[in-house]
Amino acid sequence: MNYTIHFNLIWKYVPDLLQGAVLSFQIAILAFLGGMIIGLVGASIKIFGGGVLRGAVHAYVSFFMNTPQLVQIYFFFFALPQAGILLSPYQAVLVGMTLNAGAYLTEIQRAGFLSVHKAELEAAETLGMSLPQTIWYVIFPHICKVLFPPLSNHYIIMTLGTSMAAIFGVEELTGRAFNVNAITFRSIEVFIVTAGIYVGITILASAILVFAGRWLFRVKGKVF
Amino acid sequence: MIEGLWEEIPRFFTYYNWVFLLEATGRTLVLTGIGCLVGFAFGFYLAVARLYRGRVFLPLKVIIIFYVEIFRRVPFLVTLMLIFFFCQGVQLDVSVFTVALITVCLIAAAYTAEIVRAGFESVQHTQWEATEVMNFTLVQKLHLVVIPQAWKVILPPAFSFFIAFIKDTALASQIGVVELTYVGKVFNNKGFSAVLAFGTILILYYLISYPLARFGAWMEKKLAVSKH
Repeated sequence: MNYTIHFNLIWKYVPDLLQGAVLSFQIAILAFLGGMIIGLVGASIKIFGGGVLRGAVHAYVSFFMNTPQLVQIYFFFFALPQAGILLSPYQAVLVGMTLNAGAYLTEIQRAGFLSVHKAELEAAETLGMSLPQTIWYVIFPHICKVLFPPLSNHYIIMTLGTSMAAIFGVEELTGRAFNVNAITFRSIEVFIVTAGIYVGITILASAILVFAGRWLFRVKGKVF
Repeated sequence: MIEGLWEEIPRFFTYYNWVFLLEATGRTLVLTGIGCLVGFAFGFYLAVARLYRGRVFLPLKVIIIFYVEIFRRVPFLVTLMLIFFFCQGVQLDVSVFTVALITVCLIAAAYTAEIVRAGFESVQHTQWEATEVMNFTLVQKLHLVVIPQAWKVILPPAFSFFIAFIKDTALASQIGVVELTYVGKVFNNKGFSAVLAFGTILILYYLISYPLARFGAWMEKKLAVSKH
């Protein structure tokens, strides 16, 4: 064991790494919002739709949930050009992550929708509420409260998942860590700092989500 | 594109390619299986260690909380690289497979520690107090009272975590472990079309993961604690 730790060579690259963290955040949030839209449509079809449409959503969800995200992005990156669709690394990662998130968020949102009891809807009807009123005062608060914890959990998982983009050459946090590693050769230090930044940004995200949940939907949650 | 694909298929599914694919599948499963079993054992002890009360054990608790939080908040790829370069830095002569295995164990321990802790917390407070009154030792408490009730809560999430890790180990291909994803890259580099190479890998992952996921869902339903 004759490895000397030299953090002082890394410090000047920390702003560079933090810029990468901004890109990580961007990928995560875009993929999450895209996945939310897919999930909303998918969950609606799974509950209300029938026949072929429902089967298609089921196939999509089960395929994307049972295969690795990395191989999915490989497929988009290397196989789609054969069909004439050329994606840049950033686009391939974004498309792969969005579709993957869409599958998971479909399942999460479906479970949330099904948690509304029929008795609640009947009670709303008895009170003479119109449909928008029912949605706004009964369904929406209930669903938000049920969905918020698993959704924020999945967002954290997705933030960690963005590190995969580095493999395709996107210069997000891990990608930049690879670059700094190649410049300085201080591998252990670089990846310790990178890991530290990941811990920092996910704790920050968790804290914001927990407080937002408490404030908006009165969801009890813990940062740790 | 489709015609070219049909021509490639007989060249792709030769005997040796099948052997290569199946060996890699085995390696993925061994990596995940051993990693998760060792990780589960380690994580279980971490969860038990958090049960100790008293000021003497406070540093231990803090270390465990730090360990669990950090390993759950760092991406698999970064942990993998860290362990990889750490082994290189201390000149530990281990194979890349061992590096991946160590990484899986460490991460699995952190996640299962949380799962087991949630299981322990699901046991009613009065039950814990009753064991206290009976003057049980910690081993007796766990063995006779807590685990018989908690395992139903622990097993389903632990199992779904295991299935998730079959897919996460795809990242081990980045340091050169010859598992399923790596084989896909090799086939693609050999000149087979990416649709065929990665399509086969995706299907193989699906064939492994889907039955296990169904089994997990069945088990969860079967073990669901009755609310009556």
